[in-house]
Amino acid sequence: MTLAAYLIVAAAVFCCGLYGVLTRRNAIGMLIGVELMANAGNINLIAFSRFLGQVDGQVFTLFAIALTVAEVVVGLALVLLLYRSRKNIDVVQASEMKG
Amino acid sequence: MSTSLLILLTLFTPVGAALTLGLLPNFRRAGRPAEYLSVAAAFVSLIAATVLFIRQQLVSDATPLLDTHIRWLSHNGKSLVEVGATIDGISAPMLLVVALVAFCVQLYSMGYLAGESGDARGRYFTYQSLFIFAMEAMVVAPNAFQVFMGWELVGMCSYLLIGHYYQKPSAARASLKAFWVTKFADMGLLFGLLVLFTVGGSFGWDSTTVTSLGSSGATAVAALFLLAVVGKSAQFPLHIWLPDAMEGPTPVSALLHAATMVAAGVYLIVRTYPIFAAAPDVLTVMAYLGAFTAFFAACVAMVQTDIKKLLAYSTCSQLGYMVAALGTGSLMGGYFHLSTHACFKALLFLAAGSFIHAVHSNEMENMGGLWAKMKLSAILFIIGSLALAGLPGLSGFFSKEVILEELSHSGHALPFVACMLTAGMTAFYMTKACLLAIFGPPSEGARHAHESPKTMLLPMGILAALSLVAGFGGTMLAQMYGVEYAFHFGTTGIIATALGFAGIGLALFAYLPSRRANNPFGALTSVGSFIRYGAVDRTAAFAYRNGLCKIGAAIGWFDRYVVDGVMNLTGWLPLVAAQRLRRIQTGVVTDYVYGVIVGLIVLIAMGTVFK
Amino acid sequence: MNHLLEIIIAAPFVAALVILALPSEQTMNMRIVALLGAGVSLVGSVVVAFQYDMGVGGVQMLNSYPIVPSLGINLTLGVDGWGVSLLLLTGLIIFTGVFASWTLTDRVKEFHVFLLVLVAGVFGVFVSLDLFIFFLFYEIAVLPMYLLIGIWGSSHKVAEAGPFRFVWRMLDIGGKEYAAMKLTLMLLVGSALIIAAMIAMYLEANLTSFDMLRLENVTFSHSLQFWAFPFLWIGFGTLGGVWPFHTWSPDGHASAPTAVSMLHAGVLMKLGAFGVIRVGMMLLPEGAQEWVWLVGGIAAINVIYGALGALWQKDLKYVVAYSSVSHMGLVMLGAATLSVAGWNGAIYQMFAHGLMTGLLFALVGIVYDRADHTRHIPDFGGFGRKMPGVAVFFTIACLSSLGMPGFAGFVAEWLVFLGAWTGQQFWWAMIGIVGAWVTAIYILRVSKNIFWGPGPSDRWKNISDARGQEWFPLWVLGGGLIVFGIWPNLILDFIDLATSTYLPSVTSLAMEVHP
Repeated sequence: MTLAAYLIVAAAVFCCGLYGVLTRRNAIGMLIGVELMANAGNINLIAFSRFLGQVDGQVFTLFAIALTVAEVVVGLALVLLLYRSRKNIDVVQASEMKG
Repeated sequence: MSTSLLILLTLFTPVGAALTLGLLPNFRRAGRPAEYLSVAAAFVSLIAATVLFIRQQLVSDATPLLDTHIRWLSHNGKSLVEVGATIDGISAPMLLVVALVAFCVQLYSMGYLAGESGDARGRYFTYQSLFIFAMEAMVVAPNAFQVFMGWELVGMCSYLLIGHYYQKPSAARASLKAFWVTKFADMGLLFGLLVLFTVGGSFGWDSTTVTSLGSSGATAVAALFLLAVVGKSAQFPLHIWLPDAMEGPTPVSALLHAATMVAAGVYLIVRTYPIFAAAPDVLTVMAYLGAFTAFFAACVAMVQTDIKKLLAYSTCSQLGYMVAALGTGSLMGGYFHLSTHACFKALLFLAAGSFIHAVHSNEMENMGGLWAKMKLSAILFIIGSLALAGLPGLSGFFSKEVILEELSHSGHALPFVACMLTAGMTAFYMTKACLLAIFGPPSEGARHAHESPKTMLLPMGILAALSLVAGFGGTMLAQMYGVEYAFHFGTTGIIATALGFAGIGLALFAYLPSRRANNPFGALTSVGSFIRYGAVDRTAAFAYRNGLCKIGAAIGWFDRYVVDGVMNLTGWLPLVAAQRLRRIQTGVVTDYVYGVIVGLIVLIAMGTVFK
Repeated sequence: MNHLLEIIIAAPFVAALVILALPSEQTMNMRIVALLGAGVSLVGSVVVAFQYDMGVGGVQMLNSYPIVPSLGINLTLGVDGWGVSLLLLTGLIIFTGVFASWTLTDRVKEFHVFLLVLVAGVFGVFVSLDLFIFFLFYEIAVLPMYLLIGIWGSSHKVAEAGPFRFVWRMLDIGGKEYAAMKLTLMLLVGSALIIAAMIAMYLEANLTSFDMLRLENVTFSHSLQFWAFPFLWIGFGTLGGVWPFHTWSPDGHASAPTAVSMLHAGVLMKLGAFGVIRVGMMLLPEGAQEWVWLVGGIAAINVIYGALGALWQKDLKYVVAYSSVSHMGLVMLGAATLSVAGWNGAIYQMFAHGLMTGLLFALVGIVYDRADHTRHIPDFGGFGRKMPGVAVFFTIACLSSLGMPGFAGFVAEWLVFLGAWTGQQFWWAMIGIVGAWVTAIYILRVSKNIFWGPGPSDRWKNISDARGQEWFPLWVLGGGLIVFGIWPNLILDFIDLATSTYLPSVTSLAMEVHP
């Protein structure tokens, strides 16, 4: 397996995530998209780590996973608050920040 | 007593009184103590000035008795401007005249203002004392700069004193008008000083300065000074403030607007005569301007019904005489007439004030029949009138004689003729004033009139005595001025006297009580009021309202709405821009993500392109 | 070591801190502390004047404390002849200003804190010899003004008109917040220009020092002088009321409370003019030489434009504000002559105008307070009968303003005119003199319309003269105008000493370049 194969998979995952973020109106769906994008980055890190024979990338990935978890926690908490106040989690309707 | 101490006494007793009154409001508002302090100060000043005059008279003509000055402004560690005092043959007589008339007027004011509140009297005497100081400081000035300072300060006192009845709108207007007009003219003096200093090298009028001024410099300085003189000494066309200034109390008119302050212009010419003498063109202008003012103001005086306005125009006219006389290149006539005029014009005003005090009106028709009630005041008024009219033997006769002689030899035919005619007209309007005010048909006001108190009669008596005899002092004064003078009664004198008698006769013919009904000069009244209100005053008022005020309004508007408008616009633009830009904040998360992606792509593209 | 200057600057700061610590209901104690702080500074300024050695001259009482040694920033304080006179002015104005705000009741604590901080900044500017500290103090003096006007100010209506009437909808023109915002923004734009020029000078001099005494000896390149001088002129000039950047002044002064107007017109505007002379002209003499034609020309416009603009105003404070614009023009006019008389006149005008305008604003404050918070001149009339004392002091201020001999204003005007005339700038002198005449017209007309004439009408039957502590500013400032008008050398000797040492280096340095 070449490096390119891993990178293509990562890019595909990233695009899926991006597509999800851009098209989903559901906040949880967007959150999942963000997760996909983050994990695409993780795939890249591990792939490079493997092919360059250094462990930095794997360590970095572990950090990134931990951070992603924290991010999801905050994100879900926000979604929960959003649901409590509005009874739905449609991000287009939640446009109080409109200028 | 040393000379320096005397000059200190002369100058600083009045200003000391003014300061005391200024700093002690309760003392001032008590009225009576303020009067005593002020009159006492004027008296001390008079005595000291008299001693100085006598001492100066005793020293030989050219040497100054006193010439002292101290640094007033520093410049590069050296002295730029000095102040001090010079007593010489020029300043000593004027100092005496000022101190004398001032004392008489102060004394008279005690009686004249007796009916007013303590507050008003305190204020009045404070300003009067300040005026005496300012005028005396101007007279003894060792340089033109101090002349200017005194000159402005007397203008300020004039402003304050004309506004004595500040609650009267006419008085408030008059004081402003007087200040604005004279201040306008004073710009000439300020420019003159700048030229004098930069070209001449000093503020003096000594021969070194005049030499370095050169002919053109001297002409410039003299012309600029003349502008100031025209304002202060009420020459055409800036005379417009003087008749209005009669809104002030009559003693103020006597002291400031007849005897001393308005004569400051003439004194300025006398004082800086070396500069004027080096500017023959300006002298010629003076001769014509003075003669025109003399003639014009006499015309207007002939048709006045208000006794103070009549005297005011007469003052204009006589000041015109002085300016014209100085324009002939001789010091004697103008300066001599200044001294005698101060005596009899102050007397006339004080006597008129005595009438006004009795009948509470300035109109001559409300005074008719005062002869029966106020014989002393009436006699004093008649003495003043005759002195002014130039009755042989009285002071006005001598001084006017010199002026007419000088004019006849000067080669300026037109001014000479105008002044000769003015002599007759002067006699006419003064006789008219006497006939209407004193011998006219008994009026309502005159029925309740009483003779004025002694504090008013005494100073009038002193001035009347001087009006009678001052004419004989010509030789002495000429010696002090350092000019040649011998009384000479020639053809000019005879004609002038004849004209004077003709004027008196004409007035008798027109205004004798029996002839009042068919007054042949009624038509003159309308011409007079046209000249008075129509021509010069209107122009000045028009220039003020439609010129200056409109420019001010335009600039004010321009500043508020255009200059400031641009500033507001620069504040407004970002606000509007922000309002437009805020639309891109849709509040939809997805839109922001699009933004991030587009931004990323742009950055990557830029990174690739601008490598 | 002489620490007088430090004490003068620190006293208001310390007083501000003490006031901060006081409980907010002890208003009288706050006033007393403020008065003490201002009093220490005033006494200190007088002592400085006495201790300053006229025989030696130059900069005295020099002390320096390192602040940021790596950048060469030191707190360097020292006083010269100009400093002596301007310290005295500031001391007088703040001391009387505290009295003038005695009756203020809203947020007394914060008001006095800001007032004292502001004045400490003013003191600092006049004695700083380090360019960075100079600028720092300058900003300390300028910024509290935003809150002082925005919180304690007053609003008024400005009629909607002119080509830019569409801005009214969005801007609250005439409001106190508007005035505060406008003043602060305009002055900050000025500050941006100053700091740009300052950094450029610092870098080009390459001394790693902001020491003005050292920078004075540096000959900056022609190109730097040429562009940096206008930066400094406009930057400082905005505070000095230079046309057309003066428009914060009428609105700011009209909205500000009495004591703030006194301080602002009395001393703060002087900071601007002082900055132009001290930093602009003295550090960049060649740039000054290049630009004086414009500086003087604009200043002449200021003089006549301010005076004519004042003619039109109906609001009492606007009249005084426009007269400040006009008189600050005389300061810049004197400065632009680059002559001893002109510079003496400029600094003396700062002093005289400070006293005069401080007095005028104090009087306006009293009239405003008595007359139900109206400043509309046509509503007044005949007040002289009810408030004779105020009328007298108003007249004194007017007479000084129009240049009457015997009042301080005359000396300054005369010196400026003489400077312009001897410098062959006839037009400047002519415009200045005509401006003084126009001043006589508008200022005496205002005095007449308020105090003279019949009345006062029934609407004003309860107005009264100044009372109690209100007399204090009037006597001190009015007396100062007369004393320094009769005996100008009391102050002029100090000023002249500094001018005659500074000016030759400014003019000669430029001479070398342009023979």
